[in-house]
Amino acid sequence: MRRTTTALILAIGAALLAPLAARAAEPVKIGVAIAQTGPFAPAAIPTLKAYQLWVEQTNAAGGLDVAGTKRPIDLIVYDDQSDFTKEATIYEKLITDDKVDLLLSPYATPAHFALVGLLERYKFPMVGSTAASSQLKKVKPGYIWFPTSAMPDQMGPELVKMWQSLGYKTVAFATLQSPFPQEIESYVKASLKGTDIKVVASEQFAPDVRDLTSVVTTIKQAKPDVVLSLSFPAQSILYMKAAREQNLDAPFQLVLIGPTHEFFAKMFSTNLNGVVTIGHWSPLQVKWPKAKPFFDAYIQKFNESPDYLDVPLAYMSCEILAQAVAKAGLDKAKLRNEIATATFDTIDGPVKFDGVQNVSTPTMFLQIQDGKAQIVWPKAEATAPFEKKGPWAN
Amino acid sequence: MDILLSPQFLVAALVLSAIYALIALGLNLIYGTMRLLNVAHGEIMMLAGYVSYWAFVRLGIGPLISMIAAMAITAVLGALCYLTIFKAILRNRQLAARLESNSLLIFFGISIIVQNVLSLAFSADPRSYPYLDTVVPVLGARVELNRLVVLAVGAGATVLCILFFRYHRLGLAIRALIQQRDAASLVGIDADKINLLVFCLGFAMAGLAGSLIGMTSAISPFGGFPYTISAFIVIILGGLGNLLGGLFGAALLAFVEIYGVAVTSSAYRSVLLYGVFIFVLLIRPQGLVGRRAV
Repeated sequence: MRRTTTALILAIGAALLAPLAARAAEPVKIGVAIAQTGPFAPAAIPTLKAYQLWVEQTNAAGGLDVAGTKRPIDLIVYDDQSDFTKEATIYEKLITDDKVDLLLSPYATPAHFALVGLLERYKFPMVGSTAASSQLKKVKPGYIWFPTSAMPDQMGPELVKMWQSLGYKTVAFATLQSPFPQEIESYVKASLKGTDIKVVASEQFAPDVRDLTSVVTTIKQAKPDVVLSLSFPAQSILYMKAAREQNLDAPFQLVLIGPTHEFFAKMFSTNLNGVVTIGHWSPLQVKWPKAKPFFDAYIQKFNESPDYLDVPLAYMSCEILAQAVAKAGLDKAKLRNEIATATFDTIDGPVKFDGVQNVSTPTMFLQIQDGKAQIVWPKAEATAPFEKKGPWAN
Repeated sequence: MDILLSPQFLVAALVLSAIYALIALGLNLIYGTMRLLNVAHGEIMMLAGYVSYWAFVRLGIGPLISMIAAMAITAVLGALCYLTIFKAILRNRQLAARLESNSLLIFFGISIIVQNVLSLAFSADPRSYPYLDTVVPVLGARVELNRLVVLAVGAGATVLCILFFRYHRLGLAIRALIQQRDAASLVGIDADKINLLVFCLGFAMAGLAGSLIGMTSAISPFGGFPYTISAFIVIILGGLGNLLGGLFGAALLAFVEIYGVAVTSSAYRSVLLYGVFIFVLLIRPQGLVGRRAV
């Protein structure tokens, strides 16, 4: 009789625990749509790699901590084909059809903007990543957050402060006709008002430009202390080539996007030394103990180094989401509250949001020194002091 | 205005002319001869760029040698395209009647396939490698050696092609086909063989361009389309199927881009380029060197 009772208790216990065990192993579905084809794919795919690295690391560590229970991650990825008009449709499918538990963000500012209304409608929180525009501040706080501190309205005053500290008096612009570079130009110019720094040349060029010889010639004639090449990688290459050919010797030369990309370093090697660029992350920052391990893990998995802006931002968005889910679970309202109020420990140091904005990470600038991207501004965050751009190598 | 006399501008304009001429050459052959809208032209260039990239990174072979392999591979791809797709279309009267529009869709499909195959094989990350990037003095200007190589090879390839079309039997046969397709067949020209040759040549020229462009700029699986657009502008400007016209078209675009921007502002670059393009087509719809249709 005792044996029968024991067996019965065990059977009932097993029957009760079985759903729990099954529940514990049930994957957390995380969805993302990102440009895997089309013109934005080259820039977007490294950010997808950051997501994949995070998923792999999390699964290897036993799964995503969902309010105390570890569950494996099932990452669902769609290709938005670099078409931002498809973003809302794909994310709606992820929410309603794939019934994902969590969302990761797409690539680029317009894709983020395209989702604001949808997230609001489904009350689905999503941590953004590669979105940087002062227009973001107009987004109603609610279900989306932006971890970047590379914001044009913050970059303008910071750059001017930096030049003042270095004693520079003249600046020249070579600006791509695209919203992000043009926003930066306008904020820098606005920040220059009331200072003794003068704009001595200001050139704009179209995205399909094939040669910047005349732009660099005009800038060289103006003999500026500072040159801002506010360009994306394709035009940054043209600037670098023209500047090198014409031996442009301004001691401060900023190239907006490109210098921290691996292909760029291969192309220009030692000529990149001294070039300043945007970014608020570096594996060399010892204050952020997670930075270097992330850098090494990325290289180990993909056999290439990450860029210093988009890829860290994508990984940070995963870290923020994971830490919020660990506390709040998958309940959307609790998750939203957690993301909006908590402080998160990331590869880029602590992150805290005020509204949609990351208010913990200062706006920084990097400089390539001996092939490594060092943070040179602000001084409190610097991993190395700024160095004047030396002569171009032949 | 003194800067207009700068040798730096002249060299930059010449190099850019060579780049435009080179990327337009292959497209001119295929569109000029068969009226096929090869919108995969840029992707074929990227494919060749990757061949040279791979040869350089993995085998240590420079693009000046690997461009031959790149041309061979793209020529084979051209032959496959013709033999498996376009030959069948040309045989079918109904399909052949809509050849130009059909070709647009087919080549669009090919461009997507090439993009994705390259993306799978090499990832979508841009690729580059330093090759002959020493800055050398030329005519009082300073220019990277690889850009001079593009200038020399581009000019050489264009001249060779022009000579081929002017003096070689096969070249003359291709020209005959461009001018009078039906009459050419009547005098014994094997249109099928000539078509195959044109595909091989056109793709090989795209391969040559891609192989060389990879020395001076980054390549990526999705980076071909802007080259296709540039190539179309050049060949329309010069006169469809007219290689010499393509050369003039390339030079005109390049000089407008360099000197026009210097005189006005870089902000007006697109306005100037497309303005000149429209102006030329208004006064010479047949292109700079093309002949008006009778």
